[in-house]
Amino acid sequence: MRYLYKLLAVLVMSAVFSLPSLAVENNCQSCHADWEDEGGPASMWDGDIHKEVGLTCADCHGGDPTLEDMDEVRQGRSYVGVPKTVAIPNFCGRCHSDPSYMKKFNPSVATDQLDKYWTSIHGQLNEQGDAQAATCVSCHSVHSIQPAKIPSSSVYPMNLPGTCAECHANPIYMKPYDIPTDQYDKFVGSVHGRQLLEEEDLGAPACNDCHGNHGAAPPGLDNISAVCGTCHARQAMLFAESPHKEAYAKAKLPQCETCHSNHDIIQPIDEMVGVGEKAFCARCHDADSDSKGFETAAAISDLLDSLVRIERMAEATIDEAEIKGMSVDNERFALKDVRSALVESRTLIHSFDLEKVKPEAEKGMQLAAATHLRGLDIIEDYYFRRKGLAISTIIITLLAIVIWIKIKRFDNS
Amino acid sequence: MEKSSIKRRSFLNWFLGGGVIAWLGTVSYPVFKFMKPPEIPEADQSQVTACTFAELKASENKYKTFKFGRKLGIVVLLEGDQLRAYEATCTHLDCTVQYRPDLNILWCACHNGKYDMTGRNIAGPPPRPLEQWQTHHDEATDNIYVSKGEEV
Repeated sequence: MRYLYKLLAVLVMSAVFSLPSLAVENNCQSCHADWEDEGGPASMWDGDIHKEVGLTCADCHGGDPTLEDMDEVRQGRSYVGVPKTVAIPNFCGRCHSDPSYMKKFNPSVATDQLDKYWTSIHGQLNEQGDAQAATCVSCHSVHSIQPAKIPSSSVYPMNLPGTCAECHANPIYMKPYDIPTDQYDKFVGSVHGRQLLEEEDLGAPACNDCHGNHGAAPPGLDNISAVCGTCHARQAMLFAESPHKEAYAKAKLPQCETCHSNHDIIQPIDEMVGVGEKAFCARCHDADSDSKGFETAAAISDLLDSLVRIERMAEATIDEAEIKGMSVDNERFALKDVRSALVESRTLIHSFDLEKVKPEAEKGMQLAAATHLRGLDIIEDYYFRRKGLAISTIIITLLAIVIWIKIKRFDNS
Repeated sequence: MEKSSIKRRSFLNWFLGGGVIAWLGTVSYPVFKFMKPPEIPEADQSQVTACTFAELKASENKYKTFKFGRKLGIVVLLEGDQLRAYEATCTHLDCTVQYRPDLNILWCACHNGKYDMTGRNIAGPPPRPLEQWQTHHDEATDNIYVSKGEEV
């Protein structure tokens, strides 16, 4: 009886240890790993999200993974193999456009990527049979696909500009489409590019934030302010209420882009407003044919200049007081309010209405002037203390001398 | 000779007396300065008066900003006279947030950042939530007190 138990235990343990090999027999990966170079699908697969959720090669490529002979695999009815480039969107879309299938992995995952793709320029070119047009794998990579929130993913916000640039910054590759290839270089030097790539601010826009991702296309002439307005909401709202909206539409000028450009947007400077050499206003509004617009631009520019000048003066005074070792916490705080008024005034420029800019700019100027005066008082207080220290030092020194003379006199008498 | 000696002695005595008085002055001045409260409030405050309830209720968009040590705060009046207070500096690029009663959110106008009424960043570029502070309305004085610690 004892032998029977031992035999039973051995059989149970053998069955338990052989379970994994019975459950998954993936000959695809083992065979491919043997003959592929490093960087081939078999070696890349380990970092792929699809493997993470339990899918195998056969779930996409079909075939029977338990077979060892590749010819037998190819003869199988379910075998798909490597899809043609133009077929890739539908290949991925078999699962990714099926909400009931995708729900098994993530109930909240989007399943509209393929529909959007057909609306994109990439999708339209693909429909025309253009094998160069980007498909899913052009951006998401293949066999090492990772979610966009993973920093090593090719579509992670900080990696995305580089991913797009692989095609869009390649003049040979882009030659058939006759579009510029300097977008990436311009973006890297732009205020958005520096914020995203140097400051690592994931709130800054990457290519997809303006162009869309699966439905990627250039923003239309009329909806540029809606695209920029996603983040710059107040500026977009002020612009939409301003007379410029209609005027730009009539002149077929792109909204924000006319003054700020697109991929190479720099940090706006105050000289962009007004009638000076660098001013954009003066390009359309000249003193002779449009004196009202010209005068408004000049007046807004003067207000900004005055506010900036007095803000810098106040800041310099507070800096000087701080260098002298005085406490300037309150004044630094007041400078924040001045800064807010300056930011608000610059925002209100997008109304192109002097009556809207003026009250905010004047509020900032009054605050800055008061802060400057307070800074001067603090500096005066510093000099008062220094003089006090000098006088008391002289008094103490003389006192010490007098005491010394007195002591000497007592000694003599 | 004796006369000049007396003159010099009396000068020294006067000078000694004057010096002692001046010395006492330099000692007592900081003492009196210490007794008088400074114009600049202490930086490390744990509680401040944000505004009065009446002021907040009368404000156009039902919020007021106030200074809390070196930080800027915002106190908000929600429906049902509920009070909430937060640090008012946006966690994106340091702009000042405002309350939007129409959306019941805290909103940063600089880049359309949005926070819910727990201070959590819910939309736009802000990377972190806003710090939420405790509020207390003292009905006797009508003051709204804001503190960083436990509820007052």
